[in-house]
Amino acid sequence: MNKSPWIFLGVLFALSLSWWGMVYGPASQVNNLSAGLGGGDALKPRVGLAKQGEQVYRENGCYYCHTRTAVGGTFGYEIQITQLGDNQQINEEVVGEDYSTQPAFKKAYAYRAVAKAADALKAEQDKKPEERNEAKIGDANATLTSAKTKAGAHGDDMKVNLIAYGISGVNFEPDMRAQLGLPAEMDEEQQATVAGARFAITDGKQEWNDIERKVRRLRDKAGAQFKLQPVAKEWPDVQRGAGRQSVSRDFLFDAHAMVGVMRVGPDLSSQGSVIAPLDKNGVPVSTLEADNKFYKHLYDPQWDGQSSHMPPFRYLFRERTLDEDALVSSGEIIIEKGDAPKVAIIPTVKARALLAYMKSLRTDKSLPEAPLVKVPKQASAKQLGE
Amino acid sequence: MSENTDNNATPAPEAKPEAINASCRLPVLFLFFSAAIWAVQASAAGVLGSLKLHVPGFLADCPYLTYGRLQAGAWVAFLFGFAGNAGLGLTLWMLSRLRGMELARPGFVMAGAIMWNVGVTAAMVGITLGDQPGVPGYELPAYAGRVLFIGHALIAFSAILTFFSRRHKQLYPSSWYLIASLVAFPWIVGTAHWLLVETPVRGAAQIPVAHWAATSLQQIWLGCIGLASLIYFIPKITQRELYSRQWAAFGFWMLLILGGWVNLNSGSPLPVWSIKLSQFASMLFVFVLVAVGWNLCQTAKGVPLIGSEDLTLKFMGVSLASWLVVALYTVGNSMADWNGLLQFTYAGTAMRQLFAWGFFAMAMFGAIYYVAPRLFGSEVDWACSGTYKWVFYLTAVGAAVVGLAGLGLSYGHGEALTNVETLEVTKKALMPMRIAFMGELAFLGASLIFFCSMACLLFRNCCGECSPMSLIRQCCPAKAEGGAE
Repeated sequence: MNKSPWIFLGVLFALSLSWWGMVYGPASQVNNLSAGLGGGDALKPRVGLAKQGEQVYRENGCYYCHTRTAVGGTFGYEIQITQLGDNQQINEEVVGEDYSTQPAFKKAYAYRAVAKAADALKAEQDKKPEERNEAKIGDANATLTSAKTKAGAHGDDMKVNLIAYGISGVNFEPDMRAQLGLPAEMDEEQQATVAGARFAITDGKQEWNDIERKVRRLRDKAGAQFKLQPVAKEWPDVQRGAGRQSVSRDFLFDAHAMVGVMRVGPDLSSQGSVIAPLDKNGVPVSTLEADNKFYKHLYDPQWDGQSSHMPPFRYLFRERTLDEDALVSSGEIIIEKGDAPKVAIIPTVKARALLAYMKSLRTDKSLPEAPLVKVPKQASAKQLGE
Repeated sequence: MSENTDNNATPAPEAKPEAINASCRLPVLFLFFSAAIWAVQASAAGVLGSLKLHVPGFLADCPYLTYGRLQAGAWVAFLFGFAGNAGLGLTLWMLSRLRGMELARPGFVMAGAIMWNVGVTAAMVGITLGDQPGVPGYELPAYAGRVLFIGHALIAFSAILTFFSRRHKQLYPSSWYLIASLVAFPWIVGTAHWLLVETPVRGAAQIPVAHWAATSLQQIWLGCIGLASLIYFIPKITQRELYSRQWAAFGFWMLLILGGWVNLNSGSPLPVWSIKLSQFASMLFVFVLVAVGWNLCQTAKGVPLIGSEDLTLKFMGVSLASWLVVALYTVGNSMADWNGLLQFTYAGTAMRQLFAWGFFAMAMFGAIYYVAPRLFGSEVDWACSGTYKWVFYLTAVGAAVVGLAGLGLSYGHGEALTNVETLEVTKKALMPMRIAFMGELAFLGASLIFFCSMACLLFRNCCGECSPMSLIRQCCPAKAEGGAE
């Protein structure tokens, strides 16, 4: 420790260790992340107003009071069968009595039996006339009739029927569907129900160790197809409205990755879902009412009488006080607060950019490394309190 | 603290302390006085920012004074304004004294110091206009970063020349820390500037870079300068040898190795391995804590540092205590539950404040209290030495209030964040900050007194017989006797 050059070299070496570990390593790994989500879908960079809004967010230092990081929590697994295996007995055994006695499960196998009988009948009917055996055709017909009767017997709930049809893995012609109590011509919603049919065989409280054996048997023995859905146990951010945990790829296209310092205000990682929730097709739906609510909050966080410690950002608006009989112009937003005179505000480009940026902050789409988390109903009652 | 010259070599003769002080006078006093100005700005911006949290409508119509901009400005003013100036000034003086040589190329230092302050001013103006890069802990706009870099290079050039101007048999541990700080700064700022501001990497990759830069600037850059002064002044004033060079070396290397890894939030959107690695490094930080803490406590064994009669030693005592508390907090961050609970609360900010004011500023105030009068000569002392002790009291009280509020009350905020049923999360978040506001006021008071003391010292002693105070003294009797004004 008395040779100066060695001190210099040692300092450089010691610094390079943390530089490698905290800069080069993570940054090169994260830098190589792809935007692809699989299935031809990909994360998209912010453009236009939303991109400008990121600069407004940065220059005002909003990241000192808001985070953009939904963190992880504890969860259990719900095993969701998407297609049952061939052998009913083994599947019943693996699934367990609690779930194998449910109408959807029974009906799914009834549909499979119908499909099997129909195939057998068709096979007999398709034989050459000299090889055709009328007795066998009669038997197959009887079997099909019996199967149809059984399939139509279990419950009348159309949703259950559609889910059973979906997880059975069979495909009926329209006339057969009509005979079985299924809609001959399905609308979009019914098609989506069949395509996305899931049959849960755990209640979502089990951890991996609890379900590992069942998962192996489903895959190896029962031949069923299934997916594992995380269900929040203690996951405050998800219970407050985030769809999932924030991950590196949420910041992939950010010009400035502002994860945030403190949560004096709420976490904004899923603010886009609050202002513009997704419709059934997964497309964000903006409404004038929600936009104006955001503008009012930005202009005066206490406009609706609710307590808030967010400072007002009045300089992001043009404003004018309205007289009793004043006319309101197009694009103006009216703010009425107690006895104070009515005010009409027009958001500047910066305010509109900030709104566009807020709408772009979302965790409502699943990523392979961060699937959407299901929230039990009682736990999701409290949504984004502030 | 003896420094024996190497008998086998032919070292240059050791310069007299008076000559060394004289060589350092202009550049070091310039840096110290600049530090005093920036300390006032940093604490004032901090107070103003905190005030906006309590009264959200206060100055709300002024886009240049949002809470975020004031926070960024306060940290830049402290880190580069106060800490940079004071730290570099002390580095130059200590290196000169430890090497027994006059400061080499003081002209370079003056040029560098002017550049440095131009850079910090540019940064403050830039932040006010909204040019900050959005990286908490490193809020330097691109243009300011470049100027600071050049300024540091000029000052470091002089420091390195001074360091190599004379060979010693033994390097005192403070020299290791000072050299490390001089090497670390360009590396850290260069990396942050290049990867975050000049040619930013992709958004997701900025997160680990930003954390490393902010943590390294605090733990390594500031930590090295602050610890160098503790290791220098505690033995010097207690007139003892440093307890153990081996412990000092161990603590030094561990700090350099671990300083950049620690304190990563467990909820950061980063690969899990880097979070786990950071937690492991935080756990290993206990070695730094023990090595440095044990060594200095043993050195001062039997001497009540904070209760000492010597004001410099008092400063060093609080500084050491603050460093130990922050190091303990860092070790605590190795526990995922603890880290997860406090990661988005005021605790992290409070610990940064404790490190900045309780540890670093205390060490600098104490060191400047010792060094600044000596730069004018052995007979000069502070104009009102009784006033300077208020710098100590106010900073110590402020650090204690911020530290206690941050550690104690942030727990409630953390609990509220993890409990969905809690409705008043914001109230819980603000509670520690409300109390810490009192601490920030104390910092402002201390900074103002420090600034006034420095101004008074310069006013009385600069330019020898031509100092403003001397001229006033000469003029007043002349005027009373009816002479020329």
